[in-house]
Amino acid sequence: MAKVKVISAWLDACSGCHMSFLDLDEALIGLTDRIELLATPITDIKEFTPADVGIIEGAVSNEHDEEVARKIRQNCKILMVWGDCACFGGIVSMRNLFSTEEVLDRYYHTEGSICDKIPSSEDLPRLIEVKPINQVVKVDCYVPGCPPSAKAIRAFGGQNPGAAQ
Amino acid sequence: MNEITLTINGREVKGKQGDTVLEVCQANGIDVPTLCHLEGLSDVGACRMCVVEIEKERRPVPSCTYPARDGLVVKTNTERLEKYRRQILELIFTEHNHFCMFCEASGDCELQKLAYRYQMDNVRYPYTFPSLSVDSLSDYLIIDHNRCILCGRCIRACSEIAAGYTLNFSQRGWKESVSADLEQPLGESSCLSCGACVQACPTGAIFGKQGLYKGREDECERIQTVCPGCGLGCKIDVLVKDNNLVKIEAPHLTGDSRGTLCRLGRFGLLQATPPRVPSPLIRDSEGELKECSLDEAIAVIVRRLDETDGEVAGMVATRLPSETLSLFKKFMGDVLGSDALDTLDGETYRLIRDGINQFQNNGRGIDIECPIEEIEGADCIMVVGADPQETNPIVSTLVRRAVSQRKAKLIVVNSSRDVFPLWTDLWLKPKARREGALLRILAKAIVNKGLAASERVAPELVELPPDEVFSEIGVDRGTLESAAEMYAKAECGVIIYGEGLLWNSDTSTVTTVLKLADITGNLKDDRLRVISLKSGANSRGAWELGLAKGIKNHKPKMLYLFLADESESEELLRRLRGVDFLVADPAFANMGGKKGDIRFSGRTRSGIQTGTQA
Repeated sequence: MAKVKVISAWLDACSGCHMSFLDLDEALIGLTDRIELLATPITDIKEFTPADVGIIEGAVSNEHDEEVARKIRQNCKILMVWGDCACFGGIVSMRNLFSTEEVLDRYYHTEGSICDKIPSSEDLPRLIEVKPINQVVKVDCYVPGCPPSAKAIRAFGGQNPGAAQ
Repeated sequence: MNEITLTINGREVKGKQGDTVLEVCQANGIDVPTLCHLEGLSDVGACRMCVVEIEKERRPVPSCTYPARDGLVVKTNTERLEKYRRQILELIFTEHNHFCMFCEASGDCELQKLAYRYQMDNVRYPYTFPSLSVDSLSDYLIIDHNRCILCGRCIRACSEIAAGYTLNFSQRGWKESVSADLEQPLGESSCLSCGACVQACPTGAIFGKQGLYKGREDECERIQTVCPGCGLGCKIDVLVKDNNLVKIEAPHLTGDSRGTLCRLGRFGLLQATPPRVPSPLIRDSEGELKECSLDEAIAVIVRRLDETDGEVAGMVATRLPSETLSLFKKFMGDVLGSDALDTLDGETYRLIRDGINQFQNNGRGIDIECPIEEIEGADCIMVVGADPQETNPIVSTLVRRAVSQRKAKLIVVNSSRDVFPLWTDLWLKPKARREGALLRILAKAIVNKGLAASERVAPELVELPPDEVFSEIGVDRGTLESAAEMYAKAECGVIIYGEGLLWNSDTSTVTTVLKLADITGNLKDDRLRVISLKSGANSRGAWELGLAKGIKNHKPKMLYLFLADESESEELLRRLRGVDFLVADPAFANMGGKKGDIRFSGRTRSGIQTGTQA
């Protein structure tokens, strides 16, 4: 049986959901017989190629995140999102309580930064309002939790035919 | 009670006329999710989680406000209803800013539990991210409007249970919020910090400061005990985790007399524990307290004992449990050879006892007063020389409830201030220490107006005094006569008096209070509708153990002062004046005004207390 091809990314998040995935521990060994990790933060491959399952951790916070979310959606058959940031907006969306200007000003001017001015360049993605993934692209399954436990990720993978075939 | 029959989910069930559909469901074990409903509070149908389908109704209706009728056909669990309920949850989550991961209530939150139940793993609507405030200026409470779902449970608890009427909604629509008074910070509002709102809140929107993040309810052991805050002996549930106090709750939040707690019971006991001093302290020649060994301390006491010629007395706090009190009595008698004993509130006790004895008591003993529950049914309440909100706040809650919810009349007799400024109908303001004299004229006015039950009238009460007496007491004749009518014409008139009435007073004042109740026929089950407020949790236990006999020699050569966690009160310091040698034994290092030539401290004592509300 062909291995299930997986691509993943963490957007605006703490990487805790991917850590939870690694917390599958010894179950990972069996899993490598069944899945193949293509572009993921774990393999450190950045170019997304067509896959069976796409996984996103984190919320969409800037233009780059938006693009990554779209690329993953385009390259996968089933899109799964991990964690409260991706499902609901989570902690990172608390930034929406303030304007982008206020947030940048706080970060670069009042909280002790090695930069004395707000960096600006065409290469830097612009901050936008923080959104859960389903407000940018269609999501097929959700694994909430902050972070979702390894048990939850495993249970979900086991139940979901696309992810565990 | 008329029985009715309904069909719920195809099953025939019984209910009572006057029940709501929700009540019938709950009585028959049919699970309907709720959020704004809380047993003990009125229902308002705010959240719509409890929607049900009823045959012939065009749309789903909230079961908490829908009256059950005979023959109703109800469905509680259709696919459509479940869909609506999940949709309601999603809307609630987008309305304000809910972040479970750092919320104090996470794990105990009713909203969170419902989100799990309805598997709300995503939200289909855009979040609104409103800018909302957190009010943390109160000593005990925090309101985080971000987590508020506007169910109004806190507001109903504040008005219906605590009768505080501090919280209410302000603004409308998107701007609607729970606010104290007219949008005041809670700490500067009329809030009495009883914490009924904390217990009522389904989310983390209102919570107590002291138990913050100390543990979830399901991680805590719930210990049922009795509050040592005052003499009322309210039942409390103490939540404990890892031998730490997390929070204190009323066993049931209901409109019953004992269905709520006050700031003393809910928060006072959680105050940071003051330091204890494990080693005895001895006062040196310069007047400084120094640590010493137990043997040294005992040696000094023994030496001083020899010099006292047996003039040793013991004074004890009535907050201590009976076991400790009993041991103290034995220690004073067997070891120090003294039966000169008193309690901190012994003087009050003796005044009340003598007053009752002077009154024709028919052998009823000291139990002549009614229980505080009587306040609930009162149509006139007279508060004399007492400030229940300070000493026994639950009594003040009951008074406010009677006045605001059942239109009872309220008379305050107080020389310095109106203790219920928002609620008082008549404030009789005698000159200082003339409350007793005023009560005697009040009794005369009642008799004079022919309002007394005649067979009980003592002849000396018939004549009203001349005007000079009124002005000497400092009260207007007309006001006093109105008060006499108000109290005497009541079906159920309750007099509440406090220790304040008895200071600088004599036993005849207590007798007058009892006579007032007697001549107006305020008697139920052989008890007069009179309540004396006592501050000591175990005053009664101490009296029964014979610890309140009184010390004849007011300046004993040695005094053993045995305290719990009393603070330095004027009254206490007054009584310590003139004592040659003071042994102080408080629970904590800085209690009892740091007085004493020898100080022992550092023990916790547990045991039984006997409430004054027998």
